[in-house]
Amino acid sequence: MTWLVWRQHRIQYLIGAALLATFAVMIVITGEQVSHQFHTVQGCVAGHGCRDLGGLFMGSKVVGFLVIATLGTPVLVGLFWGAPLVAAEAEAGTTQFAWMQSVTRKRWLMVKIGWMLLAAAIWGGVISALVTWWASPTNAEQLNQFDPGRFDIMGLVPVGYSLFAVALGVMAGALLRRTLPALAITLAGFIAVRVVITLWLRSHYMSAVTTTASVLSGSTPKGAYWQLASGVLSPNGQPLPQADNTPYFDGIPQTSLPGACSVMNGPNAPNNPPSACVQALSHYHAYLTYQPADRFWAFQGIETGIFVVLAAAFIAVTAVTLLRRDA
Amino acid sequence: MTTAIQTSGLTKRYRKVVALNDCTITVPEGRISALIGPNGAGKTTLLRLLAGLSRPSAGQAIVNGGTPRQDPAFLADIGYLGQEIPLYRRLSAEDHIQAGAHLNPRWDSALVRERLTGLKIPLDRAVGRLSGGQRAQVALALVLAKQPRLLLLDEPVAALDPLARRNFLSVLVDAVAMGSLTVLLSSHLIADLERVCDHLIMLASSRVQLCGDIEGLLAEHRVLIGPSKDTTAIERSQRVVQVTRTPRQTTMLVRLKGPVIDPAFEVSDVSLEELALAYLGEEVPPPQAPTHHLSSIAPGGTTPPYPPEPSAVHGDDQ
Repeated sequence: MTWLVWRQHRIQYLIGAALLATFAVMIVITGEQVSHQFHTVQGCVAGHGCRDLGGLFMGSKVVGFLVIATLGTPVLVGLFWGAPLVAAEAEAGTTQFAWMQSVTRKRWLMVKIGWMLLAAAIWGGVISALVTWWASPTNAEQLNQFDPGRFDIMGLVPVGYSLFAVALGVMAGALLRRTLPALAITLAGFIAVRVVITLWLRSHYMSAVTTTASVLSGSTPKGAYWQLASGVLSPNGQPLPQADNTPYFDGIPQTSLPGACSVMNGPNAPNNPPSACVQALSHYHAYLTYQPADRFWAFQGIETGIFVVLAAAFIAVTAVTLLRRDA
Repeated sequence: MTTAIQTSGLTKRYRKVVALNDCTITVPEGRISALIGPNGAGKTTLLRLLAGLSRPSAGQAIVNGGTPRQDPAFLADIGYLGQEIPLYRRLSAEDHIQAGAHLNPRWDSALVRERLTGLKIPLDRAVGRLSGGQRAQVALALVLAKQPRLLLLDEPVAALDPLARRNFLSVLVDAVAMGSLTVLLSSHLIADLERVCDHLIMLASSRVQLCGDIEGLLAEHRVLIGPSKDTTAIERSQRVVQVTRTPRQTTMLVRLKGPVIDPAFEVSDVSLEELALAYLGEEVPPPQAPTHHLSSIAPGGTTPPYPPEPSAVHGDDQ
């Protein structure tokens, strides 16, 4: 069976491998440049001699775009490998050739899907490893690692997305038995599930941490945490309204400042607030709801798990469909 | 004698359409059985049910001693070739040979190569670039290479030229003569079937009309030709399959229940083709349409042994 799978799908697999190799070469070359630049800049930051931080990493704009574009690479294997797996054979009638050899449909499906899932995991894993390595200098800057532009293209999750995309494609193809609609369903389904999970589910994987501290002392969590909400509580515990176009003082909108601090408004504000103002401000508390930075891998694991479970469910549906339905 | 195929009440419904209705047949081992019937009679449905490609809505089939199922041992004993001749278009014949070798416990690669080389079919060319007839030859050679105990062929010779057809059918006869192979093949080419088949299954309107050894079936039927007079006596003593009346004479094809004693009728043997056409009734257009329109088949003169198809009933006059 493996012989047939390879003979049938080798072109698909070889194209995938070629794309992967091309991407790897670009990433490795520009990654070396980026890391060289980074170390130079790091040196100048340490020596306080930097003049142009904005120019950092500008030399790899195209690759930078490619790296962001790896958000979409998992769905490619869903479209080009997954969707045609059953659908194209059903359309051409070749399932009948395979199913009338001395091989059960179950084995036929499992061998075909097995190799494809392995290939998809390698695809997602290699791309993710390259991107993670390429981005390590910027990661070191402790930007928000939970940002979808980072979280979704690094670590484990691209493997989960790739497995999910392939399984979704295979299921759509098996249910519809036509390649073109299967492609549409795969693309739409992949985007829909990714968006729903990214926007609405991900922040709830673990209950968020909320800290409150006096606005005067202030405190920032360690590392690249994921801020979910923040604001200031008035002395009676009510959150102050947040307005975009008002100047803030210690996180408090100007309009909500206590009377003792009114001198801080206007052009003649003293450098240090009067003690009455400080006294009044000490009753205000800043709160911050966030996911701590050290939960990054837990979140990666949970998200990967969700997509792997979905993929397994899709494969089960495919198997039941093919075994129950008339060929 | 062991049976290769035995079905009882085999029925297949697709939503509201009944593709095969209450089909009960027996095919003994070692026969070449012809499966005939008009388009849409259920031939393909029957073959697919026997191969295990689809599952019956009711009834059951016993094929090679077991129900068709997803089991390598069962599948190894069945050779099935569908009408659409399913082959991987981008793969060559040689690729198919190797695939078969990997997928089957018994496989005779040399046989396919020898056969296809003899037919001057290139082994290394993508199957999709072969002609339709060549593709059919590749598929037939592959299904024989599997060395099944039962071959189910759905219109296998439709794409072949007359010589290739004759050649293929003789290969089938040889294969059956050599071992314990049974063949069930559907075709519209009754002349071809007559030459090689010794067993017949006739389907029409999703039902079995006839099933048995061809010799026996032919012996049970006669053509009676006589004056155009009252035929009720004969209709009472024999089972009339088809009546054709002209002003001068009446031709009847009957299934014998006893000897024909009316001396006014000339009794003659039937050919397989006559038998088939009689049972297929109005569903097969007669060869000479013009004369036929004027006189031959009297309305209601045909006694179909089965309920007519809904389309044939002109009963919308209330």
